[in-house]
Formats: sequence, C-alpha cells, structure tokens
Amino acid sequence: MSERLGPDVAATIASAALAVAAESKTPPESAVSVSQKRKSPPPDTPENTRNRSLVILSFWVVVITVGLPLWWVTTAIYRAPLPLNEMQSWADGRACRAEFPLLIDVEAPTLPDPENLLKTVQHALDDANDFSAHHLRLRLSANSSHVHDGGESVAATLRLSQGAAGSPHSYVLSPSSRIIDLFYSPSYNPTSLSAFVASALQEIFAEEQQMISYLLASSAPVPSPSPSPGGGNGGNGVKVVSKVNTAEIARKMSRIVKYSSMYHLTFSLFTAAGAPSSWEIEEAVSEYLQPLLDALGGISGFTVDSQIQFYASLSSSVVPTWEPHSEEEGAGGRYTLKKEDLSSFINSAEWPLVSITGYPTINFIIYIPAADQSPLIIPTSSTNAFLLPQWGGVMIHNPPAESDVTHLTKEALKPALDIFATQLLALLGAPTHPASLPIRLDSLTRQRSAELLVSASSTLGSLYRLTLALPSISIPSSVSTSVSSTLSSLTAACQELRRGRFGGALEEGRNAEEQAEKAFFEKSMVGQVYFPEEHKVAVYLPLMGPVGAPLVMAALKEISRLVRVWKASKLGK
Amino acid sequence: MRLLSWPLVTQLLLAPLVVASARASEYNDYSENLLLKSLPGNSILASFRFVSNGTFDSHHSVFPRSLAQILQQSQTKELHLKFTLGRWDAEQWGRQVWDGRTAGGTGVELWAWVEAADDSEADARWTTLNNALSGLFCASLNFIDSTRTIRPVMSFQPAGHHSPERLERLHLLHGTLPREPVCTENLTPFLKLLPCKGKAGISSLLDGHRLFDAQWQSMSIDVMPVCEENGKCQLQMEQTVDMVLDVERSMGKKDSLVPKPPPIEQLSCDQDKPYAGGDSCFPLSGVTDLSWSLSEMFGRPIRGSCPLAVVPTEEATHVCVNIAEQRAIFVSQGSEERKKSPELRCFVLHGRGPNFVIENLDFDIVLPELSPSTNILLTPPPVYASRSLTGHGQERGGIQAVLNNPSSNSTVEFVYLESLPWFMKPYLHTLSVTVSGKDDGNVVQDIYYRPALDRKRGTQLEVRLRVPPGETVLLNYEFDKAVLRYTEYPPDANRGFDIAPAIISILDPTSQKSTFSIRTTSLLLSLPTPDFSMPYNVIILTSTVMALAFGSIFNILVRRFVGADEVIGGGLVSKIRGHIIAFVTERRRAGGNKPKTE
Repeated sequence: MSERLGPDVAATIASAALAVAAESKTPPESAVSVSQKRKSPPPDTPENTRNRSLVILSFWVVVITVGLPLWWVTTAIYRAPLPLNEMQSWADGRACRAEFPLLIDVEAPTLPDPENLLKTVQHALDDANDFSAHHLRLRLSANSSHVHDGGESVAATLRLSQGAAGSPHSYVLSPSSRIIDLFYSPSYNPTSLSAFVASALQEIFAEEQQMISYLLASSAPVPSPSPSPGGGNGGNGVKVVSKVNTAEIARKMSRIVKYSSMYHLTFSLFTAAGAPSSWEIEEAVSEYLQPLLDALGGISGFTVDSQIQFYASLSSSVVPTWEPHSEEEGAGGRYTLKKEDLSSFINSAEWPLVSITGYPTINFIIYIPAADQSPLIIPTSSTNAFLLPQWGGVMIHNPPAESDVTHLTKEALKPALDIFATQLLALLGAPTHPASLPIRLDSLTRQRSAELLVSASSTLGSLYRLTLALPSISIPSSVSTSVSSTLSSLTAACQELRRGRFGGALEEGRNAEEQAEKAFFEKSMVGQVYFPEEHKVAVYLPLMGPVGAPLVMAALKEISRLVRVWKASKLGK
Repeated sequence: MRLLSWPLVTQLLLAPLVVASARASEYNDYSENLLLKSLPGNSILASFRFVSNGTFDSHHSVFPRSLAQILQQSQTKELHLKFTLGRWDAEQWGRQVWDGRTAGGTGVELWAWVEAADDSEADARWTTLNNALSGLFCASLNFIDSTRTIRPVMSFQPAGHHSPERLERLHLLHGTLPREPVCTENLTPFLKLLPCKGKAGISSLLDGHRLFDAQWQSMSIDVMPVCEENGKCQLQMEQTVDMVLDVERSMGKKDSLVPKPPPIEQLSCDQDKPYAGGDSCFPLSGVTDLSWSLSEMFGRPIRGSCPLAVVPTEEATHVCVNIAEQRAIFVSQGSEERKKSPELRCFVLHGRGPNFVIENLDFDIVLPELSPSTNILLTPPPVYASRSLTGHGQERGGIQAVLNNPSSNSTVEFVYLESLPWFMKPYLHTLSVTVSGKDDGNVVQDIYYRPALDRKRGTQLEVRLRVPPGETVLLNYEFDKAVLRYTEYPPDANRGFDIAPAIISILDPTSQKSTFSIRTTSLLLSLPTPDFSMPYNVIILTSTVMALAFGSIFNILVRRFVGADEVIGGGLVSKIRGHIIAFVTERRRAGGNKPKTE
C-alpha cells in the first residue's frame, strides 16, 4: 500500500517545498496578499481517501491484535483462581452449621425402668435447650465394654444408684474421671427424678454451652435458632441465665490465648534486688504442674523454661502506696498496688520476656519486691496474684521475714504454681465450672474446635475481601492450594463435629487454621501491595501519549469524514 | 619488676577465674572484673570482663534466657559476636588486650559454629541465628545474608570444648557488617544480659555517653561450652567491653558536656620551636600524667559490688589498675587492696557485708597528677598490619596490605583473611607478595580462594604467610568494580561501599592454632554510581524517540499534502495567524496616518 502511495507522496512533498521556497522569496509586505489570494487544493482522489482509510485501519488492527495482547501478557499479574463463593459462604457461616452432640452414657443397673426415665429426661433436656447446635444425647449403656464404638467420644457417664434412705437426690463428680455419680432417694418419684437428672446435666454443661454459643454467634450473623414459643419453665430459666452471663462470658473469652498446638511457658523470677539467686523451679514444675500439662497434652503441647532476673525495677508509672497498719497492730504497714497499676505492672522495656519460639508464649512471673517496698500487696486479690489476659499471670511474693533470702525452695513455690495452674486453665479457656477435670478438658476440646472453625472461616473471609479489594496484587498458586486445603479441612471438621468425634474435629480445625493463615500471610502477595498505580502512569504516559494522540485523532477524523460522506449520500438520495 | 608484659597480666587476671569456676559446685555462677591500664599519650584502657556460666537445659539464672533460647533454636554451639568502633592504634598502644580475642573489625562481626547435617541446613540455622540476634541486639544482623557470609578454613578454631563426634557436624560461618554504626541501642541490650544490669558492680560504670565517646571501643560476646577435667560441662558466656579513653577529653566533660578548647594559659607548648610565642603554640603531649578519677572519667563511681559475682577468693579481685609504680592511687573506703606486682594493683570491693546485708558503698579511684609523665613498657603486637586501596578510576582498583613483623629474632606465621563483597572482583593472578621489594616464594605458605558468584556469595581469600624477623611484606592484588543494578544501590550510594576489615590470625608455630588476632580497618570503595533519575529519563527519552518516529511515519502516511496557498479554511492556528497579521497591518496603517492628521 505504501509503495503505491510512494511517488504520490513524494510529489506532494516536493510541491509543498517549492511553495515554501517561493513564499520565503516574496517580500514580507506581500504576505497579506498571498493569504488573500487563496487557491483551492486539487480534489482528493477517491483512491487516496481509500488508501488513507486503509492505513488508519491497519494501524488500529496492529495495535489491537498485537500491541494490546502483548502489553496485557507482559504486564499481567498472576491471580490463581480462588473458590470465592465457597470462601464467602464459610466466612458468612452458611457453609457449615456446627453441631456439638454430646453423648452421655447412662448406667442404671438398679433402676427398674431406665428406658422410660431416659426418654423423659431427654425430652426435658431438648425442651429446655434453646441453642440447638449444642445438645445432649442420652444412651443407655447395657454393658460398658463397647462404649467407644464408632469413635464417638462419650462426654460423660451418668451412674445412677440408690442413695441412703431419706436423703434427697444428689450427684457427685469425681475430679479425675468423667463419671457422674447420681444418688436418687430410695423413695423416688419418676417425674422428680427425671427433672433432677435433666437439671443436673444442664448445670454441668451450661458453661460450655454458653461459651460455644457465644463463639459461634460472635463470629457470624447466624440466624439464631428461633426459640420455641411457650417453652417450659426450665427453658426460660436457662435463657435468663445465659442473658445475664453474656458480659461475663465476653470477659472470659477475651482472656483466652489464641489457639496453637504448642505453647511455650516461661516462668520468670523477677527480684528487685540481687537475691534470691536460686529457686527450685525445675522440681516445682515437674511436681506441681506437669500432671496438668500432661492432661492437656491432647489439646496442646507445652515447652517450659525459666529465668531469674535480678535488679528488675518496676516501670516508673507504678508507684505502690504506703498504707500503715491500723492502730491495734502497731507500727509497720504495707505497700499496696492500685488496680490501675496492674495494667502497667509489666515493665516490658526492661524485662526480657520475649521468646523466639514459633508458637505463642505464656508468661508466669513471680515478683519479689525490694526490701524497702516490702510487703507489697494487691488489696483486691486474696492470692496476691493477677492474670493478664492473653499474656500470662503475675504473682507478687513477699518472702517471710525469717527465711533464707537467697534461695526459694520447692515448698515455697507451691502456692505460686497452684495459682499459675488455675491461671493457665483460664488462659487456655477451660470452663471453670464442673469439678471434674476430664469433663472440663473435653469441653475445652470442643470449645477450641469451635474457635478454630470460626477463626479459619474468618481468615478465609478476610482473604476473600482482600483479593476483591486489591485487584493489583498477585495470587500465587500456593495460595489457591492452601485455600482448597483449608476448605476440605473445614468440611471434614464440620462433619467430625456432627458425628461427635471432637478429637478429630480439633485436628482438622488445626489444619484448617494453619493453612488459612499460610494463605493469608503469603509473602509474595504482601510485596505487591506497595507497587503504586501512579508509577504505572508515569511509565506508560511518555510513550502512550505521543503515540496514542495521532492514532486517536486520525481515527476520529476518519470517522467524522465517513459520517459526512454517509450523510451526504443520504441527502443525495 | 618494673616492666610487666601483657601475657603475664592476662594470666594473673585469668588465674582466679579458673580457680573460681573449678570450685563452683553449682553451674550458675558469675564473675566480673575491670582492668584499667594507662597508655601513652594520657589515654586509659578500660577493659570490663563479665563471665556468666549456665546450664544447657532450659532453666536459667545468671545466664540470659534470651540468648540461650536463640542458641538452642539455631543449634549454635559456639558464638562470637563483636561490636567495634574506631581503630586500635597499635603503633602507640601496643598489643591489644586479651590477645585480640575480644576485638572485632569495625562495625559488627559475627561467627558461630552451627550444628547441622549439611550446608543448606547450616545456612538455614545461620539465618535463624542472625535474625534472632538482630532482634536481641537492635543491630542489622539480619542483613548478613549469603553474600556476606563466608566459611573460613584456616583462620578460626573453636575455643570451647566440643566432643569429636559433634565437631564433625559443626559448620563455621562468619559474617561481617562493616557499615553498622555501633551505638547505645546495642549497649542497652548488652547490659541487659548481665545479671546486675548495670545497676551494681563494675557494669554501673558503663554509660553510652562515655563508651561511644572513646577513641576505640569494642563490645564482645563469646559463648562456648566449657568442660572441666571430670567431664562436667557448662555453657559459658564471656562479655567484654574494652575502650580507650582520652583522659583530657573525658576530664573536660566534667564541667560541660560540650567540649571546649582550653584557655591559652593552660596549654603546654613546645618553647623550642622558632615560632613559639604568645600567639602560637606547638602542643606538647605526654609531659605530665594528668590526674583522673573513675567518677570523672565515667561520669559516676562504681555503685557497690554486684552481689551475684563470685565471692572473691584470695586471688580474685574486682578492679585492677596497671600503672607505673611511681604513681599514687587513692581509693575510697569499702575496698581492700591486693598488690599483685608493683605495676598491677588490684582491689576487692566489699559490696556484701556480713549476713548478706548489701551495703551499697560507692567505689572510686583517684590518681593525682604526676610530672614528668611515666610510662609502662608496652609489648608490640606480633604483626603491624595496615591495608589500603590503590588505583584510580571507576573501573578497577587494587588493594595493598602492609604486614610488618616487629620481632628481631622470630619468624611469625599467620593467616590473612579477606571477605570481599561480590561486586569487588579480585584477580588472583595479580596477587603478589613481596618482601623488601623482592618476590619471595617462601612467604606464601598456602592459599585458599573461593571465587564470588554474582549476587550469591562474596569472595573469600585466605593466605597463610610466614614473615621473617624484622621484614615487611607487601600483599597486592587488583580487582574489577562491578556495575550494580538500580535497586542494589543504598540510599547514599555516593558515600561508597564499606569493605570488611581483613582478619589476621597469628598461628602458633607448633599447634597451628590461632593465638592472636588483629583486624585492619575497613575500607571505603567507591563504585560507578549512576544518576538515580536515570530509569525515568531513559523511559522518557526512548519514548520520545519512538513517538517521534512513529508520529512522522504515521503523519506521512495519513496526511494529505497540499500547497501552502491551497489550505481550505485552514486550521485553528492559521486562523489565529491571519487575525494577528490583519491586526498588525491595521495598526501600522493607523500609525502611518497619525502624523499626517497632526
């Protein structure tokens, strides 16, 4: 095309050059006359017009078919496909309705009609329960040999036996087993017994139920199960209790350390002076705390270390106040810490408490005040200890006056470690209520599964929102793999929960959480966030501007000419 | 015995420690001592040494938990970390304290023996170690990556006791950050590792304002397992702070923190100079020994003794002063003097009274002025070393190291280690070693060379040299300077790039183990540095050229060319031009008519 155009163009250029030369020779005065004496240009040949249109068209064809795809391919950001709908439905809590069916074995060898009793108790429990995801199922165990069939764990075993004559119904929980011993009075009435059994079971699992319902409710706007209209008296009673306790549960939940399969426990002895310089912490931990840690082994593992820090000063904002003794006690007195002081008690600038382990650290601190600030008392605490939510526990130890100040024996550490054990359970989120430790730990397993499910789902939700909010970040395929692994684990966890296999649910939940975190904190995704859009404009504009402008102008001119031609032809008709 | 050599001083100081640690039944002991030594030119060397022993398990008392945890996580069995500022002037100050073991090269230097099955595992653990230490000491140690890491072959030997099976699995890694400015943020975590945290004992003297005002200072941490003969092992950490303080400068600070020139009357001038007079002065130094005291030099006295430090035995002491016999020393109460030799006077602080009552008595030492000045004899270092850049231009350069053996009768054998960044590409064939201007084939004993890989690792050059008595060896080599990528330049690229100091390890002739180490200064290498708006300029320029070419071709192809007088109607520009021309001619005509009407 250009070849055909060649001589033509050359001729025009030559004539233009001649015209310019002619113009420059003419004196300046004649400029006006030149502009006035205007010739009309030679008529444009249809062939020229057609060629011009073809040139413009071919440029645009090249730009669109080669240029744009090339630009697109070389600058595209890889975004692996993510199952967005599924992610969103998990985040909204629509994908899984978590259920916690608790199986309770009932042994009633002495009862004449246990089936009937079970039926009435089950009925009463179902009626009273307003949170259907968490419910108790009773099962009559004929013989205890096949208790663990199907892998479903038994939450508790209820053993009914006849109590002493004349005594009312009562139940006893042993602190180290899942057996609930219920003694019914010999002169029993089936209705009263079933009501008593139902209320006893409710009482035992009430705290756990509240915690789980709080966890699931706070996470997602799950349409709360519609309370059955006109529920029984017991039902109303439970509801009132749960409402009263919401604030209390929120407070409890806020203390809980985020779940991890491992925790690091650091026991620190901070002394304001140079003594004591040794303590029998190793022996004390293995004797007083290790049994609890072993029991918790199914949920999380623990590593332990300890340190002594001398000359540990309180931060300057903590000033204990001197409180003299009342008159009858004579001279002397004590230093007290206000409640406000406790929040800034940990002098994080000075005290080396950070661990480099890959999992969370829980700190337990024994603080021994300086001689001139002794005894140091927290008036609001009977144990002289306090708990720092999600962080650890602190105990202030005032050594007795007539003791060896340079060494702390195992016996001297026992009260502190007992307090730390309680604090550890609170930090991990174990319910405080039933006396039986195995039941509390089972509750903890279920609670932790719920928590993992909720947190993995919300991480997926955050990732979902992030990918939509930042279209310029790349999504590597590892993220996609992690997400699909999270989803499958979540589904599995949900199923395990329904089947009542809580150990398996915890395992799957742990995996889901881990994979979700891995997907969300993918390194290469974070890096891309800081590449600003303005930068791109600055890079493209110098080329795109000068090249694009003539192209666009030519296209516009051509279109307007075509429109004119089309209008003229229409008029001509 | 007026003259006392360094090794003897070191021995005298170390002996009690060994005794103490052997006696200690419990493996959580701690000891500290301070050595003050007068140097020529009214300088004082203050050398603090803190030794903490700990167990290998996870229950810690005097051994810091934070560091123990890092060592455990990274499977590091022996660690040496040095923060150094300034240059040790060997010509004036002689041998370094502790045989140079505690002094590092300028900036930060770290080397460790990491237990690992293979190299890649060792690298991973090394990275863990660097990152963790970086957080602990507030230093940029996390920037020690593969390009700054070398694996020395001849220069270092483990100082701790390791079982032969473990030695097989240990990997030595060494990294340097010559650019790191050492400052207070490194001292604070250093002090936190001490049991008494700078609140009692000799560590209470350590203050950032004085330490970093010193002419030369070095903080070092060495952790290693130490075993006794009976097979009992413990983890030992030795922390040292060495500094050389200028007495005049430090004493000037007691009146005002801002240094002020002394009035002319107080200057000691050399009256022998021909220009000496009321208005000109050639300063004389070393005429008198200025008076100084601990509290004036360090801004405060020693605040009692640290109660955790091992109760001093007959031999152990807290503070030792190594000065000429003639100088008098006055000490404050609560201390007991133990003269180890006429020139080494030591003191035991009684911080802990009877019944463990802690009496926090401040301890101070005062030395009055003495004229004429006294000096204790300094032993020269085994080698005087200096290194400099040669050559010119931006393309290539050279390095020259001058190594002098001051001894008059013994040959010295040492390993010269260079760790060069990858953008400095040495040519090994240009390596020349000359003694007194002649090539001598016997000087170089052995060479270990590991060439650099671009952006992956640096060059490692180890040369074992043997220098005859009294001779000076010149070690030369040339190198090319690489051009870096745009993003690889630091923000202040025109300042230059710091080259890590060369490490000279003097070998024991019999055991071939390093007995003394010396560092040269770091070098500043200037690389070809681009103008950093360059990428954008290139984009603009190329885009303009492309747009020009495209525009003209496109216009030639699509425009219709007609004569200047054939333009129909004309565009906006020609319309405006027509109006202007018409206006101008109108004005001219009007102007021409005006005089006529008048």
